Amino acid sequence: MAAEYVKYVDVTKCDGCRACMVACKNWNDLPAEPQDFLGTMQSHANVSADTWNVLTFVEHENSKGGLDYLFRHSSCYHCSDAACEKVCPENAISYTEFGTVVIDQDTCVGCGYCVQNCPFDVISLKEYKDKNGKEYRKAHKCTMCTDRLEEGLQPACVTTCHTGAMEFGGKDAMIEKAEERVKEIKDRYPNAMVYNPEGVGGTHTIYVLAERPSVYGMPENPKVPTSAVLWKDYAQPIGKMMIGATTMAVVGAFISNKLFNKEGNGTHEDGGESDE
Amino acid sequence: MSKQQKPELQVRRFSKGFVWAHAINAISFLALYITALPMYTEWFDWLYVVLGGPEMARLLHRIFAVTFILPTFIWLIFDPKGFKLWLKELITWKKRDIQFFAEFTKELFGFKSKHVKQTFFNAGEKINSILQILTAIIILGSGFPMWFPDLFPSAVVQWAYLFHNIGFGLAAAVVVGHIYLSVIHKNSRPGFTGVVTGKVPARWAKEHYAEWYEEEVKKGNFPDLDDPKQNKKKGA
Repeated sequence: MAAEYVKYVDVTKCDGCRACMVACKNWNDLPAEPQDFLGTMQSHANVSADTWNVLTFVEHENSKGGLDYLFRHSSCYHCSDAACEKVCPENAISYTEFGTVVIDQDTCVGCGYCVQNCPFDVISLKEYKDKNGKEYRKAHKCTMCTDRLEEGLQPACVTTCHTGAMEFGGKDAMIEKAEERVKEIKDRYPNAMVYNPEGVGGTHTIYVLAERPSVYGMPENPKVPTSAVLWKDYAQPIGKMMIGATTMAVVGAFISNKLFNKEGNGTHEDGGESDE
Repeated sequence: MSKQQKPELQVRRFSKGFVWAHAINAISFLALYITALPMYTEWFDWLYVVLGGPEMARLLHRIFAVTFILPTFIWLIFDPKGFKLWLKELITWKKRDIQFFAEFTKELFGFKSKHVKQTFFNAGEKINSILQILTAIIILGSGFPMWFPDLFPSAVVQWAYLFHNIGFGLAAAVVVGHIYLSVIHKNSRPGFTGVVTGKVPARWAKEHYAEWYEEEVKKGNFPDLDDPKQNKKKGA
């Protein structure tokens, strides 16, 4: 059994070079998505079906009144308890032995349930056209380069990072490293913290953040939506049981009628055929 | 001359407007059920192939969603009186409606039972209507955000999935009973021909909906079956 791995991202070491974005496009054969100028250094507003990681740039006034220019590598978090996996009606989304969360492109039907339920908004639908001109959709997101992991390689974004802001390694080691790092930078960044949210069972991309998550546009307390839990753990199984129960009731009624009501006694209707 | 024995005496129970509304509603429901089934359980993934792929299933589901809404308006426009009577009966509950269920349970499983006097709709049909109205509201209300997720905050869309699922489970369970009672259960089968042709056997109507039948007799619309002239034996 392979161990669980974690991508460690220390945003305080990131210099915003965006090599991780390029490496991702390169390895995963994703087309460029030219954008209009968004008013900041940031190239794309968010991750998309063809852009699985985006470097975000946040201008932040820190507690001392100074300007912090905050860079962050953003992509799928690979939750331990992934809402997308929970809501997928086709079981197209699964956990790998590495702890990553991947979408099987063959079974995906493009319904978009995962897109709507992801607490981090990192999944998008890609529109395709087959050779008959028929349109279809598939859900796309970062795979943590699971195809590389299977070959003993590290994710493309990690290997290209030239400042050491990203590392890939065993889960416990990476978490420990993040905690150590937060201690180191507490003087400079009093709000520094490890981002490994428990509401989704922890993630396989963990961050050393210089500020509160909300400063980076990240959810403070992400969790699997309550609606998704009620839906998949209660409503659906109970619904199936109910449909089964009424079906059994009518089957029972049908058989019971055959057994106890052979002569059509009991009532006297039915087109006058069954009068005693 | 005095006996109308050979072709059974029929009386009109449902208007044309209702018959059409009911048929469109039933067909839409079934089509919605089938086009959604592969999303509901993987057992039915083969339906994607039958339906022409997930995209086609989604498109059909949306088309039938629209035709599912139409019947309410068809009934309301072409038979406003019947529609009003329906609503009125749904909120009218008396002791006999409770008695109905005790007798109904016996009848359902084929044991001896007697008829409890009922108005145009019996208590079971009223329960069916109420459940169908509620589930339709749940399903349509949640279906809209699912169809147009961009128009709603994601929390609304997420809760919509849950309610669509609950509404579907309830509606399907109710429909199984509804269809069984009309199509298969022999004592109520004339109700099924009735909802297709609009007409039901007079005797059956009188036994099942005594109060409604008697009212129509008073109005002079239906023949009085107890009249010695309409001579046909009646069970006790």
